[in-house]
Amino acid sequence: MAETKFIEIEVFRYNPETGLEPRFQTYKVPFTDDMSVLQGLQYIKDELDGSLTFRWSCRMAICGSCGKMVNGIPHLSCKTFLRDYYPNKVRVEPLTHFPVERDLCIDQSDFLRKLESVKPYVIPREERSLAQGEYVQTPAQMQEYYQYSQCINCLLCYAACPQYGLNKSFTGPAALALLHRYNADSRDGGREQRMELVNAEEGVWGCTYVGYCSQVCPKQVDPAHAINQNKSASALDYFMRFVMPRGGE
Amino acid sequence: MQIIDTDIVVVGGGGAGLRAAIAAAERDPALKISLVSKVVPMRSHTVAAEGGSAGVVREDDSLDHHFDDTVSGGDWLCDQDAVEYFVAHCTEEMTQLEHWGCPWSRKADGHVNVRFFGGMKVQRTWFAADKSGFHMLHTLFQTSIKYPSIHRYDEFFCADLIVEEARVQGVLAIEIATGEFFLFRAKAVVLCTGGAGRIYRQNTNAGIVTGDGMGIALRHGVPLRDMEFIQWHPTALAGTGVLITEGCRGEGGILVNKDGYRYLQDYGLGPPDPWPRVKAMELGPRDRLSQAFWHEERKGRTVHTPLGNVVHLDLRHLGAAKLHERLPLIMEVARTFAGVDPVTAPIPVRPAVHYTMGGILCNVRTETPLPGLYAAGECSSVGIHGANRLGSNSLAEIVVFGKVAGDHAARYARDARPVDGDAVRRQGESAKAALVAHLRREHGERVSAIRNEMMDAMEQGVGIFRTAGGMQAACDTLARLRDRYRRGVKLDDRNEAFNTEWLTAIELGFMLEVAEVIAHSARLRTESRGAHTWLDQFQARDDEAFLKHTVALRGGDGPPRIHYEPVTITKSPPKARVYGGEGKKAVLT
Amino acid sequence: MATRKPYIRSMDGWWRRDPFFVRYMIREASSFFVAAYALVLLWGLWALERGHNAYDAWLEALRHPLMVLFHLVALAFVSYHAYTWWKVAPKTMPTVRLGGREISQAQISAGGWAAWAVASVAVLVLVGWGTR
Repeated sequence: MAETKFIEIEVFRYNPETGLEPRFQTYKVPFTDDMSVLQGLQYIKDELDGSLTFRWSCRMAICGSCGKMVNGIPHLSCKTFLRDYYPNKVRVEPLTHFPVERDLCIDQSDFLRKLESVKPYVIPREERSLAQGEYVQTPAQMQEYYQYSQCINCLLCYAACPQYGLNKSFTGPAALALLHRYNADSRDGGREQRMELVNAEEGVWGCTYVGYCSQVCPKQVDPAHAINQNKSASALDYFMRFVMPRGGE
Repeated sequence: MQIIDTDIVVVGGGGAGLRAAIAAAERDPALKISLVSKVVPMRSHTVAAEGGSAGVVREDDSLDHHFDDTVSGGDWLCDQDAVEYFVAHCTEEMTQLEHWGCPWSRKADGHVNVRFFGGMKVQRTWFAADKSGFHMLHTLFQTSIKYPSIHRYDEFFCADLIVEEARVQGVLAIEIATGEFFLFRAKAVVLCTGGAGRIYRQNTNAGIVTGDGMGIALRHGVPLRDMEFIQWHPTALAGTGVLITEGCRGEGGILVNKDGYRYLQDYGLGPPDPWPRVKAMELGPRDRLSQAFWHEERKGRTVHTPLGNVVHLDLRHLGAAKLHERLPLIMEVARTFAGVDPVTAPIPVRPAVHYTMGGILCNVRTETPLPGLYAAGECSSVGIHGANRLGSNSLAEIVVFGKVAGDHAARYARDARPVDGDAVRRQGESAKAALVAHLRREHGERVSAIRNEMMDAMEQGVGIFRTAGGMQAACDTLARLRDRYRRGVKLDDRNEAFNTEWLTAIELGFMLEVAEVIAHSARLRTESRGAHTWLDQFQARDDEAFLKHTVALRGGDGPPRIHYEPVTITKSPPKARVYGGEGKKAVLT
Repeated sequence: MATRKPYIRSMDGWWRRDPFFVRYMIREASSFFVAAYALVLLWGLWALERGHNAYDAWLEALRHPLMVLFHLVALAFVSYHAYTWWKVAPKTMPTVRLGGREISQAQISAGGWAAWAVASVAVLVLVGWGTR
C-alpha cells in the first residue's frame, strides 16, 4: 500500500465582508499523480475549509471557468497538475488585472462588456432565408476564421496582458480576437461597422505586442495574431477615410 | 430583497435557455426577458457536448428514418407526436444556427457535412469538429447579444419558483456575488436548467448539473417523468468521467477488451465486419454499449487501472490527419487527462452517467401542468427520448424545443393576467427565510458528507444493472439522507457574499429529492426497457404492463408518489428493438 | 445585505513579476539603442556634409573607448531588436497560404532572420571591399 503523499497549496484569501487585506492560507492536501490543481482546491473545500471560494465547472478545459494564477502564471486549474510542482508548494491566486470579488473569484463584468462591444455576431453579407439552406462556405474559407472561434473566454489572456492591466479601457485580446473572427467569416459583412472600434486607441492600437496572451492561451487562439494583423488594415482604413471621406460618417 | 418586474424569466443560460430567450425576443420585442443563470452563459454545460446535432439533410435520409431511429432508440417509450414534431424541425434549427455563424464542418463543396452516430441508420449528425456544443453555445450566446430585450442576470442562482393562485408568478434568485435576494415577478417562467448527472459519482457532467429546475418544479407539485432512465455514456475517462465523444465511433473507432477483442459482438451487436456499419457494433445505442461493458467487467475481461476498470477505444486506424481534423478536442483531452496520444495508443474508457432522459413533465408545446411554467432541454421530459436517448438528439432538442418554449412563453406572457405583486412578495420573503436558515445553523453535517453517501448509494443501487434489493437499499438510504439533510447541514462559510458552499447546500437539497424520484421510479418499473435494466429478473420488455410513462410527484415528508400515464403512439407500434445483424459497409463522409 | 467590495491589486513593478515581461521590457528598451545609433549615424552624415575635417573628427570621436563601449552595447541591443522583430513579424500579417498550404509563423521568422543574415554579410562585404 503506497504511502499518501501530501502537497502544500497556498491560496490567496480575500473576504469582501470583512474588508481586511488579503492574506495567504496554506493547506496540506493528500494527492495522487493524476490530480489537477482544481481537484486539490476541491479537496480543500469539501474536506478542510468550505469557505474557500473558486469557480469551476466542466473539468475538461472547455468551459473557461477555472482560470487561476498558479505560481504566478495564468493557467486553467483543471488541466494543471499537482505532480508538476510536487514536492514544492503551489501558490494559487486569482487571475491578475481583474478586481477580486472573493478569494479566487474575479469580477468578470468588464470583460463581458468588452465582448458585447465588438458586435460578436454575424451581420450577414447577404440575406438568406432558412428555406434556402446553409450559406456555402468551403473548408478553406472556414480556415480563415476557425482558429479565432476556439476561444473559451477563460480570460487567461487578460491576466497575461499588461496593457489591459495598466489601462482598463483596452478592449483586450479575447474580445478583439472574436471581433476578427467575425470579420474573417465569409458570411459576415460587418467589417465596416466594427472598424470604429478596431481603429480606436482602445482597439488594436492599445496593443504593443507583448505577446504573452498567445503564449498562455490554452486553445491556441493566438489573439496577438488576430489583433496585430488588423493594424495594417486599420492604418489603411484611416488613410482612406482621410483621402476619401465618407459623407455622413 | 430587490424586486424586478419582468414579463418572462428564463432560468438557465445554456443552449435551451438562450434559444428560448432569442425566440421570445423575436416573437415580441416589446416583452422584457430576464435570463437568469447561475453561471455566465458560455460556462453552461452545453459547452461540453462534443459529437454533434441531428438534422435530416441527405437524399437517402427522411424524417421517417429519423423518427424510426429515435422511437426504436427510445425502446418505444417515446411520445410519438413529440418525436414527429421534433424530427420535422431539427434541420431548420441547424440551418438557423449556421446562419447565426455556427462553424459546422463542411464538405469540400462548402455544404454542411453530416456523420454517423449511434443507433442512426443514415448520416444526419451535423458536427463542428468534435466541439459541437461549444460552437452552438457560443453562437447562441453571441447572437443573443443582438437583442436589447434580453436582460441577462449572470451568476444569479435561481432558488425557487413563486406560485400563486395555481399559476407561476415569478422566481426567487440569489445574486451570487453579494448574497442579495432578487425577486423576479413574471408571468411566464421557462426552466432550462439541465440534467442531474452529478447525483452519481462517475459522470461526464460539469459541477453545475445538479437538477435545480427539476427539484424546484417537484416542490411546487409539478411532476417529474421517466426519471429512472439514466444514460451512461459508454466512453468516458476513468476517474474524472471526462467525455470521449461518440463521434470517435462515428468516424470508425472500435472498442476492445483486454484481449484486444471487439467484445460488442458477444452482446447482440455483431457481426464485427464489415466495419463501419450502421446501428451495429460500436455504432449501437448507448444503453447497449454500457451494458456490454458491465458484463465484460464482471467477466474480468476489462483492463485494470488505478482509477477503475476500462476498455480500449482504438482510433489509431483513423490516422493522424483525420484525427486532427475531426477530433481535435479528443486529441487534447486524451493527452492532457489520460496521458495517451490517440494517434499511437488506444484511449482507456468506461461508462459514466451522462444524461437524464426524464425530467419535468411537459407537452410538445413545452407547457408543464402548471400554467405559466415551461420546460425545455435536458431538464424537461417532452417525450422524445423515451427509455434511451440517441446521441446528437439532445443538442437538436435544446434548440428545437428552446424555440418552442420561448415562442409559447411569449404568447402566454403577452395575454396573461398581471402578477399579484404583494402576494408574490410575501411568498418571496418566506422562501428567502428558508434559504437563509442554512447560513445560520450551528450544528449539522458537512455538505460533502451527505453528498458522497448519496452518490455512492446511487452508483450501487441504481446503476447500469439493477436488482430489487439494490434499488430498495438506495431508496432507504436516500430517505435517511433526506432526513439528515432536513436536520441540517452546517456550513464553514457564514458569508452572504459569494458563498458557494451555501449554494452547494441548496443544490444538495435538489439532488436528494431528484435522486429519490429516480430510485423509486426504478424500483417500481418491473421490466427492462432501454437504459433501465434488471440484472436477475424482469429482464424483458413488458409492453402489456409498462408501455407507460412513470410520473412522480413529491410525497411531502415521505417518498415520492408514483403513478403511470399512457405513451402516445402514432405511426410506430412497438416492435422488437434490434441492432447488429448483417449489413453493408457504411461509407464514412 | 452585503455589498460588493472588490479588491484591486497594484500594478507597481508589474514587469518584474514574470521573466516574460522582463524580456519584453528589454526588447522595448532596445529601440532606444536603435534610435541612439541612428543619431550617431546622422551625426556622421552631417559631419560628412561639412567636409573632410569634420568627418575625420567624427571618426576620431568614435574611437574613444566609451564610444566603442557604446557601440558594442548598441550592437547587442540592435541585434536583439532585429531578432525579436522577425519573431513578431508573422503576427502582423494575415496567415500566408501558398497553394493551400500554410506558411507557418516559424517559417516566416526563419525567412526574416535568413534575410537579415544575408543582408548583414552583404553590408560587411561591401564595407570591407570599400575600405580596402
